Amino acid sequence: MKSFLKLILILVISLFMISCAATGPKFTELSSSISILPPDTGRIFIYRTSFLGGAVQPEVELNGEVIGKAVPAGFFYADRKPGNYEVLTSTEVDRRLSLTLDSGQVRYVRLDVSFGFFVGHIFPVLVEDEVGKKEIQECRYVEYKQPVEQNQKEEPGDELK
Amino acid sequence: MLLCKSINKRFRDAIGLLLFILSLLYGCAFDVIHLNQNPCQIEKGTSNLKSFSLGKEIQITLDTGYNRTLKNGVIWNYVGLIPPGEVFKTNDQILTVEGSNIFEAYIVVSSGKLIGFYLPVEKAFSSISVPIELEIIELKRIQ
Repeated sequence: MKSFLKLILILVISLFMISCAATGPKFTELSSSISILPPDTGRIFIYRTSFLGGAVQPEVELNGEVIGKAVPAGFFYADRKPGNYEVLTSTEVDRRLSLTLDSGQVRYVRLDVSFGFFVGHIFPVLVEDEVGKKEIQECRYVEYKQPVEQNQKEEPGDELK
Repeated sequence: MLLCKSINKRFRDAIGLLLFILSLLYGCAFDVIHLNQNPCQIEKGTSNLKSFSLGKEIQITLDTGYNRTLKNGVIWNYVGLIPPGEVFKTNDQILTVEGSNIFEAYIVVSSGKLIGFYLPVEKAFSSISVPIELEIIELKRIQ
């Protein structure tokens, strides 16, 4: 009976973790179709490998602009002009990473998880290129959709006007 | 009836104390690790040393308690000068310094010793309390 309960618990936890994970195409499937870096820009890959605190999925900001969500086993990227950048995640606290970006440079930022007071903290870490390239392989693309503002919602019949 | 009142009072007191402790912890437990930063402007300046590598790996314990390693064989190139010392950066390893937040960093060297870090985004100098002797292998001198 005990082993049956354990099995149920494992199944529930597994289902919960799967439901929290990214569902887009894998990096390995997508890498060939990821656009070549435009001239005079750099690229920042942001990814999360950890399932720990899977329900905690804060938005990720790059210099104040939301560019994605910290979904377990997920990744996304942003192409930007060379310059100084700040990656920010907010849970019960803000965690920041500041980094520079050169033209043609590709940087990898991993979103790690630590224990918090009420919820886990997600914090961005700049990792070595080799580490980032390896760890991102199994991550899945996370498409970020900007939330639609109430006043921007289409009125019924707008398409007929 | 009296016993009931006493228990209620004790329970209320315990809850009150718990809430007080929680509020204290919540208020101060998160952003406690501050990295010292002094704003400074980097200038092109002059240095005899254009680039160097380290003869041996250096382990650094930051004042915030986090550890960092300067790898052996990594090439450090001169970037500029700030009042405390000369600034060198590398493309061969990622170097960040960490408190509650994480900052990309270059190293600051004075008289052959690592004295701290230059934070290029914050344009600030972060010192270490105990300078570390570096085993510098000179690669290029500025003519």
